[in-house]
Amino acid sequence: MDKLLTSICSSLNLAIFSRQTTEQFRLLSNTPDWLVFFLGQSVANDSVLTHTFPYLTCFMEDAEHHWQTQQTTPLTSGVWVEIDELGNELALEASAFCANGKAILLLQNLGEKYRQEVSHLQQLREGLLTQEKLENEVHKRTLKIKQREEEIAIKLVSLTSYRDEETGAHVKRIGLYAAAMGKALGWNTQQIDDIRIAAPMHDIGKIGIPDRILLKKGKLTEVEFDIMKRHTEIGAKMLHDSNIPVLDMAAQIAFCHHEKWDGSGYPRGLIGEDIPESARITAIVDIYDALVHERVYKKAMCEQEALDLMASMTGSHLDPDLFKVFSGLLPVMRRIRQEVNEIGDLLVSY
Amino acid sequence: MIQQKICLLGSFSVGKTSLIRRYVDSLFGDKYLTTVGVKIDKKQLRVADQDYSLMLWDIAGEDDFTSIRPAYLRGMGGYIIVIDPTRPHSYDAAIAIHEMVKTTVGHLPAVFALNKSDIKTSWQLDTLQYQHLHQFGHPIVETSAKQDLGVENMFLQLIQQWSKQHG
Repeated sequence: MDKLLTSICSSLNLAIFSRQTTEQFRLLSNTPDWLVFFLGQSVANDSVLTHTFPYLTCFMEDAEHHWQTQQTTPLTSGVWVEIDELGNELALEASAFCANGKAILLLQNLGEKYRQEVSHLQQLREGLLTQEKLENEVHKRTLKIKQREEEIAIKLVSLTSYRDEETGAHVKRIGLYAAAMGKALGWNTQQIDDIRIAAPMHDIGKIGIPDRILLKKGKLTEVEFDIMKRHTEIGAKMLHDSNIPVLDMAAQIAFCHHEKWDGSGYPRGLIGEDIPESARITAIVDIYDALVHERVYKKAMCEQEALDLMASMTGSHLDPDLFKVFSGLLPVMRRIRQEVNEIGDLLVSY
Repeated sequence: MIQQKICLLGSFSVGKTSLIRRYVDSLFGDKYLTTVGVKIDKKQLRVADQDYSLMLWDIAGEDDFTSIRPAYLRGMGGYIIVIDPTRPHSYDAAIAIHEMVKTTVGHLPAVFALNKSDIKTSWQLDTLQYQHLHQFGHPIVETSAKQDLGVENMFLQLIQQWSKQHG
């Protein structure tokens, strides 16, 4: 090797090998000091580099292919770290290529370049760790706030359970049915969680209706019915302006769950899609659950009868498209009915 | 003497290097020093009258800046995926790495290590995530490189899988 090339190899911390057999390599350059410790006795002879540097076992297959196809551009092995005679880390990288028809393997001690790379990555990863910690903290706190919101909402729902005939299990089922509908409609997780809590609050305004009307066994007079209808507005007033998304949705549902698809509902006589989707969903699942369960004043209807009745209400009372979605989810709805039953369920417990 | 190559994989800063250092040198350092590239350590041991020589490949953690080269996995006899359960991100990374390894080299003996068990009160894995890990059918070992908990067992679990395979 001429002096210039030797000097270049020394400056770049390079050792140049030519492949003799599949396993053996002959050193063409001078032996750099850092390599002597690793090659030991074999400096003067051909070396089995995969024995000296086990890391190369994962590189040789690719290198061999590179040499076989006479590639002249270098293929690099990736960095690996060895420990030298002083216990210091030595970062090495191999490159394979062909020169003048010979299979060449370069071995480079990356030295300062590696230390700079480590320092750079150390900084970046410490930054990532800090970012992860902060995101984690924000996530935990958001979750805590959401749990509190849910607790408040559940307490509100339980209030209505004390006043009217509806049981805790009914209001819980309404939430679960509505959430299943939201999921099937492709709502995002937040909206699904919200309707699970918000739908059960649809009748919360009944808390403002006098007992003589709310608990009356017989048919309501026209005046009494007008008072009863006010539970939608009372509920909405109780829940609105909170700036809490779940309560905003609950206010919307409370206000609009008696609106009908053809505009004949109350309190505003909204038509079709002017009625918020959350309220249209709640109307469907509330009617379904009320029909298929027994109440003090009525017997339970068999499911098919209830579905036939509801089908006859589509277009006039219920949103026909949402009813189709509901019908497609019947196995899910039945499971909810089975899992959430009335036994001992006075208050809602999620 | 049975020689086996074991790769330690996982997100950055989950403790792969610390686990190897504890196992090979019985040492632990508190400061996080990132690994760049690959470091290989050796450990010889005897289990049930059988000598083993383990080549422990400490592979730099995956992140936005580096990824695991599939070539690193060549000749591997088994692998350990390390998770830091205080960092939910490291669980996601572990699942992705496991999928990548299965696709690259097929089914091999493996262990999931839930590291940093000395600060278990800060763990954030939920029941669903535990169940998901169990479904892969590999042993799950709780470890602490800091307090030397479960480290040896983690490697023994891998060795036992080889023993079962070879009768």
